[in-house]
Amino acid sequence: MTKAHRLSRRNFMQASALSMAPWLARLSISAGAIAATACQQHESQSGFVALTASQADDLGAIAARIMPTTETPGATEAGVIHFIDAALAEAMSDRKPPIEAGLIQFNEALKAAHPTASKFSALSETEQDDFLRTQEDTALFNSVRVMTLWGMFALPQYGGNKDYVGWELLGFEGRPNAWQYPFGYYDAQVHNAEVGDE
Amino acid sequence: MSNVTFALDEAVDFVIVGSGSAGGILAKELSTNGFDVVVFEQGPYRKSHEFHNDELSILFRFELHGGKRENNGQTFRRTADERAQMPGRGLPPADYAQTVGGSSVHFTGNFWRFREIDFKERSIHGAIGGTNFTDWPLTYDELEPYYTRVDWEVGVSGAPGPNDAPRSKPFPMPPLPIQSSGVLMERAAEKLGMTCQPEPHAINSVPFNGRSPCMNCGYCMWYGCEHGAKSSTLATMIPLAEASGRCEIRAESAVFRIETDAQGRATGVRYFDAEGNERAQRAKAVIVAANGAETPRLLLMSASERHPDGLANSSGFVGRNLMFNAHSAVNGVFEHPLNDYKGVQVSRIIHDFYDADPARGFYGGGGIDGRSLFSATPIFFAMAGMPMDGPSWGKAFKDEMAHNFTRQMSLVGSTTSLPLDRNNITLDPESKDRWGRPALRVTYLDHDDDLAMAKFLQDRSVELFDAAGAEKFWRLPVGPASNSAHLLGTCRMGDDPERSVVDRYHRTHDVPNLFICDGSSFVTSGRGQPTMTIMALAFRAAEHIAKAARANEI
Repeated sequence: MTKAHRLSRRNFMQASALSMAPWLARLSISAGAIAATACQQHESQSGFVALTASQADDLGAIAARIMPTTETPGATEAGVIHFIDAALAEAMSDRKPPIEAGLIQFNEALKAAHPTASKFSALSETEQDDFLRTQEDTALFNSVRVMTLWGMFALPQYGGNKDYVGWELLGFEGRPNAWQYPFGYYDAQVHNAEVGDE
Repeated sequence: MSNVTFALDEAVDFVIVGSGSAGGILAKELSTNGFDVVVFEQGPYRKSHEFHNDELSILFRFELHGGKRENNGQTFRRTADERAQMPGRGLPPADYAQTVGGSSVHFTGNFWRFREIDFKERSIHGAIGGTNFTDWPLTYDELEPYYTRVDWEVGVSGAPGPNDAPRSKPFPMPPLPIQSSGVLMERAAEKLGMTCQPEPHAINSVPFNGRSPCMNCGYCMWYGCEHGAKSSTLATMIPLAEASGRCEIRAESAVFRIETDAQGRATGVRYFDAEGNERAQRAKAVIVAANGAETPRLLLMSASERHPDGLANSSGFVGRNLMFNAHSAVNGVFEHPLNDYKGVQVSRIIHDFYDADPARGFYGGGGIDGRSLFSATPIFFAMAGMPMDGPSWGKAFKDEMAHNFTRQMSLVGSTTSLPLDRNNITLDPESKDRWGRPALRVTYLDHDDDLAMAKFLQDRSVELFDAAGAEKFWRLPVGPASNSAHLLGTCRMGDDPERSVVDRYHRTHDVPNLFICDGSSFVTSGRGQPTMTIMALAFRAAEHIAKAARANEI
């Protein structure tokens, strides 16, 4: 990227930051850091800030078995790996060393179970699930499980839940955060009966 | 922000430590009655429009709990023979908000008055061995006018139920709309001969006192209300206190010591300001309203030669008798969507089991409510709302989650807690909080009767789900609690200076110009929704404190 390009990009970021200021003010303190991370993310070669390409490949593949793509979107479509990357770069940076260590152990166990497999994502889905069942009690698996759920369902500003696919999966219409009664099937029955009486 | 600033070295009439349910009301009442008041709040001054529905930040990054979990400065153990640990995950053991308005900002808004029985159960049921179970030094009738003031001045929506204590004025606002969880509960209760009633809320159902009605967004429990519809002291009392021109809200100011002089009178407080500098504010009188965990910690931190076991602690009751209210939960899934994430947590309750009944074989009483609980927000649901015996990842997990989220509700039981010596707040000898104050050490193990009552309510909840025709329902284990937002009993009120910390008007027995008013004043625990009573006590305390100040009797 040329220097001039970078400068104009920075100007653009500042201009858009200004217009977003009232909105940003309502967010948690980490919003600025997230914006910075997102910015760096686009500039980094691997496409990731905290993770190497192979770490991202492993974690993304594990996440994709925790929340698999079926007839509905899963972790891959939600961009969970970008949530994990942004979290490990900033808010959860203290978790990066144990996750890196966990991945090394994970790949050692993988090598023992599948000596010919080049990497976890190279296994079939069934093989992946079978292998993950042997890893369910590891700290790594539990961390990735939690981060996958967060990446599915946290606000998209954190990198995951792209286009709110996680919320759609649940039938959670989380926007615009204001609802008119009746809300559900059973209270609508009462409501309709009352309206019918009038 | 505050339009008045008081000098540190000039004694203000009152320093109030804490800006929450009690502190906010005391600040408003005393300042509008002509007294100069400085309110200390350790958290920042967030305004209603700054609140948001960012679940990750609120629930998992502890935005309103002081930021990082390590910052909470709390440790937990079940019994005194254990070494207390900083909890590794989840909310802190003593769950309270660090923000102006305190926990009234992030509480759920469930708002039960106590009933006559709550104040005199020891007289009716007799002593319970091994406990500090006793009567309050006041009655429901004495507190009723102040409950009514909370209704009308703070703002409460609801409708009277068949089991309620008498009220001198009707609710100022009608109840919030019934949700599907409430409809299902009501139908089941009717089949079983139980009685459902609308849940009262400290949340506006209609425009009230210049504030917005509830928008049904569903982000009540642990969230600040961005619409200002929740009747927090931030939204109701603190603006009136500041408008008096006599009240300064000093946010991001963490009090670590109450100072006393050679005569044993309080002279002010020492605190860390927003930059971490040590400061001191002089005061003619000090009121501690920091919540049932922080209040005893501050008194214990204020030990001196004259008060070696902590300030106002000649009885040894400072920090003792911590009561959480025990809970049970049953989750159930129905055929059609309830969409209970829309609207408040609770719309219907059952108070048929409020009174203790010796026939049950144990002491206790409580209520059952129908609520969204886990299915209010998606991360909490994914993390904690799914059946415990089912898969926790993979296609089956994902499919079940997608099916259940809109169709799920919970029946929650809340019970009495017995006051015990063993359940308490002490200073952790090793850990510190982010200001360097000794960590707040919570020691807690529910009394067997409390858990028996929770189990009893869980059994009734199972009957209700069965009668409601749930597709599937499952119990969450009833067991000892390791955290609570109900922090009660730790500086109890009483006439006997050897068995209580404050008198019936919230003045400490030991220090004539030191008052305490918050959940710590409770003598018994009530049945699980304490905030209404904390607020009523604060109105009553303010009246008596102002009267004493005017008569030069402080």
